[in-house]
Amino acid sequence: MNLRKPGLTLYGLFIVMALLAAAALLLGVAVSSILVFLLIYAALAYSINFITGMIGYVDFGHVLFMAIGSYALATLVSYFGANPLIGVGAGAMLGLVFALGIGLVILRFRGVYFAIATVVLVLAAYNIVLQLPQLGEGGEIIFNLTFQPLAPYFTIWTIVLIEIALTYYVNRSRIGFGIRAIKSEEDAASSVGVNPQRLKLIGYMLGGLFAGAAGGVYAWSTSGVTAGPAFDFTVSLLMLAMIIIGGVGTSIGPLLGAVVVYIPSYFLLTSVAQAQPLLIGLLVIIMALFLPDGIVGLLRRSNKRLRLALE
Amino acid sequence: MVAAELILRDLAFGLMLGCVFSVVAHGLNIIWGVVKVVNIAHGEFIMLGAYGAYFLNLFAGITPLETAPIDAAIGLLVGYAFYYAFLHRELHNKETITLQSEMVTLAATFGLSLFISNLAIIVFTGNPVGVIYNPGTLQFGYLIVPLAALYVAILSILIIAGTWLFLERTFIGSAIRAYAQDVTATELVGANPAKVASLATALGFAVTMAGGALLTVWIPVGINPLMGALYAPISFVIVVLGGPGRMWGSMVGGLTLGVVIDLVQAFTTPQIAYAAAFLILIPVLVFRPEGILK
Repeated sequence: MNLRKPGLTLYGLFIVMALLAAAALLLGVAVSSILVFLLIYAALAYSINFITGMIGYVDFGHVLFMAIGSYALATLVSYFGANPLIGVGAGAMLGLVFALGIGLVILRFRGVYFAIATVVLVLAAYNIVLQLPQLGEGGEIIFNLTFQPLAPYFTIWTIVLIEIALTYYVNRSRIGFGIRAIKSEEDAASSVGVNPQRLKLIGYMLGGLFAGAAGGVYAWSTSGVTAGPAFDFTVSLLMLAMIIIGGVGTSIGPLLGAVVVYIPSYFLLTSVAQAQPLLIGLLVIIMALFLPDGIVGLLRRSNKRLRLALE
Repeated sequence: MVAAELILRDLAFGLMLGCVFSVVAHGLNIIWGVVKVVNIAHGEFIMLGAYGAYFLNLFAGITPLETAPIDAAIGLLVGYAFYYAFLHRELHNKETITLQSEMVTLAATFGLSLFISNLAIIVFTGNPVGVIYNPGTLQFGYLIVPLAALYVAILSILIIAGTWLFLERTFIGSAIRAYAQDVTATELVGANPAKVASLATALGFAVTMAGGALLTVWIPVGINPLMGALYAPISFVIVVLGGPGRMWGSMVGGLTLGVVIDLVQAFTTPQIAYAAAFLILIPVLVFRPEGILK
């Protein structure tokens, strides 16, 4: 594999993104208002991929950064009348700052201890938000914006595009080798000159930044935020499910996982709301036990050409 | 003296709540301590234990205290099944659990948690239910204690003491403790590691489900499919506070958490009390990663 020349995976991903842009422009509002949620799922999957997928630190509480982004946008738009784009930017920045602060403390815990710390932080944050009168009764802020479906659509589209490019770049760069070294053996990595603390923090901050941005767009598309759904663990778990199903750490896995997780939610939501997480849970069990490298791993093993092409 | 009386009252209730928290977390502690696996679906099995108490009360008219042993028997079977379905492949023929296996078990049990809780919503519906169990009250001076909570507290201590005695004083218990320390050495002295690990997992599940039954006494209208999302994190905090694998650690962690929640709640709000209870974990992990016991 020539690391300097972009491979088929990147071209493939760009073609998918181009199709998504064309679909929104040509097929109208009905299609784009469905696809916007697929893109939000994809943005969240790529964001958690930076920490859990690439570095191997299982983050059960990634929804925290999404909630921070949602509240940033909702506060700015409803109290200050700001442009939603500024809200998305603020959400991303706040996500980054919180990831930096939290990461400095909890990235020192390894394995399950990190995972558990992320769980309790979400619950603590949820209970604190309910106590803040500035964030509305029950943590609910609702706002009215003129209906402009293409603006949030292309915002999240751009975010996903940046995430794809960044994921692809990181996976192939020197940093990527360092990150994979941490994933396989952290102590050994630090003994050969990799700085695990710094790389883990970078990964976690990227995760916070993009989840914050996606949370902002989510609040924008749904015209508000409520504490219960904003801190819903199921969302956290679905993000994790997307990368486990797609293929952890890869450039194409998060998008595949987002499609697999999103499609049943769209078709099943009308019949039984629990059918989606139920199926996803079952799929995650099967994947974790029998196909730990996800759909990407399965495809890679099935065909030699795919093995070289899929990243 | 009203303030002092109130604090004493909150302390007493906090301690009793702490006892039931301890037993709810104790099953997680056993599994975590012996087979070194954190069951993310722990809360879902507490929930199933609680529903066990509800249905047995509804159809057979028995109290949550009488349900506990029945739940424990079911828990033993579920625990064996869980070990062979989820853990055996990752654990057998390994001296210590690798980071890779740890991630696999985290991911698989997380999938299980998603599966069980959503299946429970479909089967049990999302409406909360409860068990009415009120054997009266007991008065100590001005302190009035509901007997149900007192019985549950005593039973919780007995369960934890029982597992401690089992692990310390019986031959099989020694084998389990040996497995927790050194898998290869356990094998060298002739114990079958898979049998020992599956027994420990089954024991953990039995305690967890019995704990779910006892918990129903504290939540008269709070049995619902999503209750695991609260009691699993509480259990994680308790086990870390007490130190995984220390049988009395569950008690220390549980009592600490119960008292913190009840006392903070007395001065502020329930939300701040729970936020404080969860946030304790972070400084403990930073300064005393082995738990608050020395």
